[in-house]
Amino acid sequence: MFERIRYFLFRALRNMRQAPFLTTATVLTVAVALTIVAVFAILVLNVQRLGSLWSREVQVVAYLDQVPRAEVLQGWKDRLGRLQPVEEVRFVDREEAYARFLDRLGPDDDLLLGVSPNILPASLEIVLKSGHRNRAGAETVVNFLQGDLGLTDLQYGQAWLEKFETFLLLVRLTGLILGGILLSSALFIVANTIRLTLFARKDELEIMALVGGTPLFIKTPFLIEGALQGALGGVLSLGSLALFFHGFLREGMHSLFLSPGDFEITFLSGGMQLVLLAGGILLGLFASLVSLRKFVRI
Amino acid sequence: MVRLYNVCKAYQKDSSALVDITFQIPKGDFVYITGPSGAGKSTLLKLLYCAEKPSRGQILVDGQNLTRLSPRRIPFLRRRLGVVFQDFKLLLNRTVFENVAFALEVQGKKRYEVSKKVYQTLKEVGLEHKLHRKPLELSGGEQQRVAIARALVVDPLVLMADEPTGNLDPALAIEIMGLFRAANARGSTVILATHDREMIRQFPRRRLVLDQGRLIDDRAP
Repeated sequence: MFERIRYFLFRALRNMRQAPFLTTATVLTVAVALTIVAVFAILVLNVQRLGSLWSREVQVVAYLDQVPRAEVLQGWKDRLGRLQPVEEVRFVDREEAYARFLDRLGPDDDLLLGVSPNILPASLEIVLKSGHRNRAGAETVVNFLQGDLGLTDLQYGQAWLEKFETFLLLVRLTGLILGGILLSSALFIVANTIRLTLFARKDELEIMALVGGTPLFIKTPFLIEGALQGALGGVLSLGSLALFFHGFLREGMHSLFLSPGDFEITFLSGGMQLVLLAGGILLGLFASLVSLRKFVRI
Repeated sequence: MVRLYNVCKAYQKDSSALVDITFQIPKGDFVYITGPSGAGKSTLLKLLYCAEKPSRGQILVDGQNLTRLSPRRIPFLRRRLGVVFQDFKLLLNRTVFENVAFALEVQGKKRYEVSKKVYQTLKEVGLEHKLHRKPLELSGGEQQRVAIARALVVDPLVLMADEPTGNLDPALAIEIMGLFRAANARGSTVILATHDREMIRQFPRRRLVLDQGRLIDDRAP
């Protein structure tokens, strides 16, 4: 068994050495295809991360015309805290609201000179859990506030939430569709490049069959060759992607997204890099398999 | 060893390459298939090593009915046959040793077994000193001997050759015929498709004569 594997590996490596031009063409095709897909993946992932960052701001604010007694307020907070989407409930009294407003005005705080702190209403700020920072989560809380507590002066950025959710859905859908198209085209191009290499070895395939090679025996070295070329393409793609990312993409994306200073544009995670590499191997393997079906006839 | 019953092969509806061929070749026999160009000699050999399927009739090789043989079993039958093709079918980017070893490697033989057997066979055909040459560095006769070595290395039950002496000078042709006779003496059934009358005269054996796809004569020497 071990000797068989060694033989197939040796044959695959020798085939690659004997056809350097076609091997290079296949490796480059895989690398280019994977790089395009990966650049798009980096874009989509970072947009999603930015979206999550923005969604941290999603909270429901209920303004209180009359501040209820402390025990009533505590009762509301407890009941709200028991709702599934709620992470935290904060009571902001008039003084704190005034202080925040002053703070936000910064150097222009003199605008509030002579204005009483009582001008701003007290409020309940309901922070949502990370998985519920969406329209559905906000609406659960809003329904409770309106129905059970009778509060009507609420703010939770309805229009913004809807737009944001549509935008995220659009990004994901575009990613899926474009990724699918890119991968299919990559498969088509790689399969055709491998077909060229097989065409150059048509005689070898025929002779192998004539001296008693089984289809598996004939195909295996070519499948290994495809997988190796895919792996090489994957490594090349990761290398060029890292260079491209650090040299251009990161800065470009910062400017494009107008992202906040604390938001770091990230590269593919270790797991994603492995997925890219595995994608290269599978691409080479599958493209070889598709091409071999037409060439190996017993 | 080889039996054919009413075998026909037609590539197109109105022209037949072989018509109603019936004969038997016992184990260990040495047989020429002769006839003019286009008589159907190569087609007959192709049917025997399963490169083609007959349109009609039955073919039995070593008790196996080739017309009923599943494609999965064909490689295993071919491993017991040695075929020397008219155009040699050598791998030009491989050495002499690798070309011959190839036939054993497909059978999954161990490396040391392959090396030993290939060297022995190349010695037998007189090419042991050209192990590492590539086919294009060899003469036509030497290429022919590499092709014969590849067929012999598997100790074939049936050794077939298509026009093995076609392009060789008489001295070389005699040398090549010696290799087939030696294989026959070791027990292989030998079937040579040839139109080389001089060779048949020098080494008289049973002759199956084809003409326009029909077996017109089956003559013992």
